[in-house]
Amino acid sequence: MPIEITMPRLSDTMEKGTIIKWHIAEGDDVTAGDILADVETDKATMEMQAFDDGRVSRIAVDEGVAVAVGTVVAVIVEEDDEPAASASSEPAASPTESPALADDPVAAPCHKVTSVARRLAEQHGVDLSGLEGSGPGGRITKRDVLAAVGTSEEMRASVPPSAQEQHARPDVIEPSHMPVPAVPVTRVATSLAGTDSDRREPVSIMRQTIARRLVESKQEIPHYQVSMVFAMDAMMALRKDLNTELADQGVRLSVNDLLVRACAVAMNRNPLMNASWDGDAIVYHGEVNIGVAVALPEERGGGLVVPVLRNADSRSLRAISAETRALSEKARTRGLTVEEMEGATFTISNLGMFGVDAFTAIINPPNSAILAVGACLQKPVVRDGELTIGWEMNATLSNDHRVVDGATAARYLGTLKEFIEHPAAILV
Amino acid sequence: MRELAFRDALREAMSEEMRRDERVFLIGEEVAQYNGAYKVSKGMLEEFGARRVIDTPVSESGFAGLSIGAAMMGLRPIVEFMSWSFSLVAADPILNNAAKMLYMSGGQFGCPIVFRGNDGAGGQLGSTHSWCVESLYANVPGLKIIIPSTPYTAKGLLTQAIRDDNPVFCLENERMLALTGEVPEESYTLPIGKAELIRSGNDCTIVSFGRPLYFCLEAAEELAREGIECEIIDGRSITPLDIDTIAASVCRTNYCVVVDQSWSFASVGSEVAAEVHRVCFDDLDNYVYRVHSDDVPAPYAKGLEQEMLPNARKICEAVRSVTYNA
Repeated sequence: MPIEITMPRLSDTMEKGTIIKWHIAEGDDVTAGDILADVETDKATMEMQAFDDGRVSRIAVDEGVAVAVGTVVAVIVEEDDEPAASASSEPAASPTESPALADDPVAAPCHKVTSVARRLAEQHGVDLSGLEGSGPGGRITKRDVLAAVGTSEEMRASVPPSAQEQHARPDVIEPSHMPVPAVPVTRVATSLAGTDSDRREPVSIMRQTIARRLVESKQEIPHYQVSMVFAMDAMMALRKDLNTELADQGVRLSVNDLLVRACAVAMNRNPLMNASWDGDAIVYHGEVNIGVAVALPEERGGGLVVPVLRNADSRSLRAISAETRALSEKARTRGLTVEEMEGATFTISNLGMFGVDAFTAIINPPNSAILAVGACLQKPVVRDGELTIGWEMNATLSNDHRVVDGATAARYLGTLKEFIEHPAAILV
Repeated sequence: MRELAFRDALREAMSEEMRRDERVFLIGEEVAQYNGAYKVSKGMLEEFGARRVIDTPVSESGFAGLSIGAAMMGLRPIVEFMSWSFSLVAADPILNNAAKMLYMSGGQFGCPIVFRGNDGAGGQLGSTHSWCVESLYANVPGLKIIIPSTPYTAKGLLTQAIRDDNPVFCLENERMLALTGEVPEESYTLPIGKAELIRSGNDCTIVSFGRPLYFCLEAAEELAREGIECEIIDGRSITPLDIDTIAASVCRTNYCVVVDQSWSFASVGSEVAAEVHRVCFDDLDNYVYRVHSDDVPAPYAKGLEQEMLPNARKICEAVRSVTYNA
């Protein structure tokens, strides 16, 4: 009995997935638990496992093609299969709901396309056979084509002027109580002169997600920044002490680990920093979950992910350090699960290791703030009225003004300064 | 600009035209002594006298026929039906005579006449007094049907209707007569057969006529909070239908919802949908959705009546569905 492998739903918001690499070929034998492919979702790259033993009879989706959740991507035949399936064969354990094409897994999908979707596809050179329709019965709609083109905002903005001018006819007086609100038209700059030396590269789903979310964040959230310089001498000394004392236990604290802990503990005095704007209310989060931005290596497609350290205010430095290292390593090599990236209530972005001394970051919704951390540098400083050499670090807090006012942000940085400059307080 | 109630805008259009053209007169039940059943003709008897503001018996077939004869002989009657529901007993004169006279007389007699009155449900008047006649009458060639949605359009369209050489049906709504809005003091006309964009948006076109436009605006506010910006077109006249303005919008948004207070079968809504499918065939991303009154006689009970009519909830659901956001 052939077993259909369908595109699994790997997160609540996943609608499509791309197989970025097949680990199997047609004719291969697979065993339950084998890794079949690497799947890129809107949030992460994850492994797709075999749930049954058998031989791969067909690979239905090429690498790099986005398909909807539930689409058959491969078919496995149980090895002792006769044409008439034996009664004892187990039912196919599909990881998700049955796909739309379950009746005939071998037939090519029938492409229903709306008029405007077909025309847009022609205009943009989109191959419709590579698209999975999101409409009823798999109908390919405008949205599907624009998603493939990746320029939906640009298209939405292309309002011909005629429609706007209708309001401005001088000989017609407008009725007063049916006001004509002008809908702001946001144009994405598109008029880059193309030359032969330009190279156009379609982007990954992750890059699309980063682009969409950060545009939403920057357009929606009234950002402003507050900066502070921290004397790092005490923290550097503490870190050195701890790492020396605990080296034989494998403890290797980074400045960032100490900062994660300090940021988390500082929430207890500044609960607004650990809150979210929700339309007509502010949601104060019960957990303090600190997201840490991690850049991914080029060979994994670049980009960045934000693994989350849960309940960082009630966990030891040792645990925070070990988990941060494990998550960063996993993000860079195998990819994180959705759970490992969900639920951040505050985010830290640290570019200190690149020698950046100060920068500002874009808030990671639904957070209300993000801390952009610069390098810890030795500088000439004034301590107790004397010019001396000391460690200093700049950090800039970007805030959502709907939730966090300037004084609130300043008080939070003040609390951080207290903890960073007297770090014994964050040890317990 | 000064504000005027819908009923006063209608009266101003009639009075100005009666001052301007002595052939114009008003006739109907209770239009004179009682100042109109809905006070639209308040004070007109005083100004124009009983020769030009004429009370009739309860005899729609009679006074409609009489007025058509007057129009054929060169006068310009305005016939008030207390409700368009009552025009059903005058169907023969208004459809067989007024609409066809120019044609059947080989061009010898025209019929420059305006029939006007309340159309549509919403006031708990029971099913026999809650007719929406637009779909019935729009099926007949030889007529123009206007359906103003604001005091401003009421004055402009009715003035144009009185000056028009053809029979024009003006569909008003009892629920809207007290509505106020800015209306110029001077006389002006609005073209019959020209729709108007009353709200701009890029995500879906909503086409409607008359009172349901207010439900469309209500729905558009709710949908805007969900990120769906609707473009709303006030059709203003049903025949002729301004498909050009509608199509220009739909070709841009790729989605269309038609909101029509009549029943769905063979209706104004089905006609608009058919025309949009014809003109915008290559620009549609979904078929045209329609919101109508439910296929039942108008209930008397208030809650049931509101539920039977097109309302903001039904319109929101249609827009979400047509744009694949359901």
